[in-house]
Amino acid sequence: MNTAAVPAAQPTNRASGAGTSAILCRGLGKAYRMYQKPIHRVWELLVPGLSKHTDFWAVRNVYLDIAPGSTVGIIGENGAGKSSLLKLLTGITRPTEGEVFVNGRVASLLELGAGFHPEFSGRDNIHLNCSILGMRPEEIDERFPKIVEFSELGDFIDRPVKTYSSGMYVRLGFSVAASVDPDILMIDEALSVGDEHFRGKCINRLNELREKGKTIVFVSHDMGAVKTMCEWVVLMDKGEVVGQGSAEKVADEYLKRAHERGNQRLSAFNRGGSTYPRWGSGEIEVHQVELLGAGGAPTHVFRTGDPFTVRMRFKTHRAGARQPVFGLGIYRSDGTHVNATNHSWRREPIVLDEFRPGEEGVAEVSLPALPLLVGQYYLTSYLYDHSKAAPTPIDQQEHVVTFEVIDADRRQHGMIHLPTEWRVGWTGPERKEERESRA
Amino acid sequence: MFAILSSLSHHRRLLRDFVSRDLRARYVGSSMGFFWSVIFPVVNLIVYMFVFQIVLNARWSPEQTPSEVALLMLSGIIVWQCFAETISRCTNTLAENQNLIQKVVFPAEVLPVYLTISALINMLIGVLIAELGVAWFAYIAPSAVHAATTEGTTTVVRPLALGASLVTLPVLMVLQATFTLGLGYFLAAFNLFLRDVYHVIGVAMSVWMFMTPIFYPAEKVKEAELTWVLMINPMYWLIDSYRRVLIYGEWPQPLTLAVFGAVALVAFFLGSRFFMAQKARFPDLL
Repeated sequence: MNTAAVPAAQPTNRASGAGTSAILCRGLGKAYRMYQKPIHRVWELLVPGLSKHTDFWAVRNVYLDIAPGSTVGIIGENGAGKSSLLKLLTGITRPTEGEVFVNGRVASLLELGAGFHPEFSGRDNIHLNCSILGMRPEEIDERFPKIVEFSELGDFIDRPVKTYSSGMYVRLGFSVAASVDPDILMIDEALSVGDEHFRGKCINRLNELREKGKTIVFVSHDMGAVKTMCEWVVLMDKGEVVGQGSAEKVADEYLKRAHERGNQRLSAFNRGGSTYPRWGSGEIEVHQVELLGAGGAPTHVFRTGDPFTVRMRFKTHRAGARQPVFGLGIYRSDGTHVNATNHSWRREPIVLDEFRPGEEGVAEVSLPALPLLVGQYYLTSYLYDHSKAAPTPIDQQEHVVTFEVIDADRRQHGMIHLPTEWRVGWTGPERKEERESRA
Repeated sequence: MFAILSSLSHHRRLLRDFVSRDLRARYVGSSMGFFWSVIFPVVNLIVYMFVFQIVLNARWSPEQTPSEVALLMLSGIIVWQCFAETISRCTNTLAENQNLIQKVVFPAEVLPVYLTISALINMLIGVLIAELGVAWFAYIAPSAVHAATTEGTTTVVRPLALGASLVTLPVLMVLQATFTLGLGYFLAAFNLFLRDVYHVIGVAMSVWMFMTPIFYPAEKVKEAELTWVLMINPMYWLIDSYRRVLIYGEWPQPLTLAVFGAVALVAFFLGSRFFMAQKARFPDLL
């Protein structure tokens, strides 16, 4: 057992208010034992003192003090230790070091269909889950109709849950977790699966719980969702808490990290030999595609509204292309075609003559403000000869570069930012007034 | 051990849900539901009768009629099947229910218990068939008196009978449950350390089955001077006691019962201790 020294007096940040804590963690850490071979576990079991594992610290040095009635968001990249922390808080796993205290009945909703027996019907699973949560039979019978009604499962309630869609899983899970009247409700990402209608219902229910003074812990990698739900945010990275505080404060830190991380990850990805299709006659080659952000600095992560420039460097290998035209396509990661543009099909086209072998150059396209909203996108570069009736490819590269758009403000949802103007007015005789908002 | 008992009594409602659901899955899930529980032992019986009596011509003893042999085999099969099924399901139960163990705070010690109880209840159907058979051959249509006396020996013919000793049936079942659970707890936890256990168990159980006098008389083993094989096999003691009670209406031998009870308790103590000691690690091991 690893008993690494724990800092003796770490100042604990408080989520809000006074009184005893709903959740208190002191130097919490969880190490998973990694074995090279499964048999090594058995050797360890049989021979006392033998150590054949290496520790992987999923969570370490976590100090938390969550007051009753607060809504807390835990946020971080995939693998930051959010879910491991939540498992420690719910008591599913035991800490390797440190302590965790939880006051009150905990209901948790970890991942999809967690805690369900796939062969049981929805009805059986409700009973099962309620029993596990420590409810008495009368209590279960009393709550049962409410749970069924909230889940909107209809006839499916009597079918085995293995036949459920992922949305139905979440509906059932959330209905149980939220209906048992827990003191502390812990939710892990699950809500993102449901449809808009159900998500709305969930958020209403969460607000109800919040008004009743219940504690809610909400885990997500979606900053926008956390910001709308939680007043206190805990930011995790590599198993440690790297920041906690009000949503605004932590959001900045989060975006900064996402920016760095995104750049590292994406540039590594973009550097790798492309496996995407590339074709054309090859007289001219686009040998590099760069993305430039604010101030002309190369980046792969943008915020909505940032200046956005794509620079294509080309090299002429041999003569032959008579009227080359550079183009660019923007796609969202799911393949949705967002836009395609070139410098020929414009009101004032740029017409190029024949290139001579050995000539090099740059074609640039820029947007003063990137209108794309949060998501992953990729570019496809086109170089076509427009001298013939149907343009013929010289060098087309699918998926030539990838970039990410992040956004903490989330003022709009969807794919594209539209400059909108809002007017709300009263037209009755008592009040004649109009309010306006431009953005 | 007491921790486990108090946890089980605390979760008795959960346990009941699991047992009733498992029984429903057995009987309601398939179209012929309940009948499978009747048909399986009978089909097994016919197959083993065919192989051992007709093909291998393995005679029990001359004074035993075919119907008696059939009932002896049947009683052995149902007890063994109950035991073997539970052991094999227990071994896999934690892995099978990892959704519960990893995602909610779940009393894992309930799982082997519900499997054991469900199998025992299912076994009662087989017991009923065996008892109907005994009643039929003992009272309604007794087979012709067999030629036990032809060789002039003084072998005692044990008549088939239903007797007051049936009241010990619950005792036998509780002891069987204790023994099964002891092994089940150990194997369930150990399987998480080494997943091969589940596969090994399949083979081990069939070796054990053929070492137990189910399809052949225990006397054959004694004649071969391998009595020790019987002496170290608790399942032989158990099945022998069941046969006394179910087939002959005799009382089980107190010494056998006491020794089996002691072994069962030790098994339960060790198995449940190992299980509870490792329980905190289950979510990590899965």
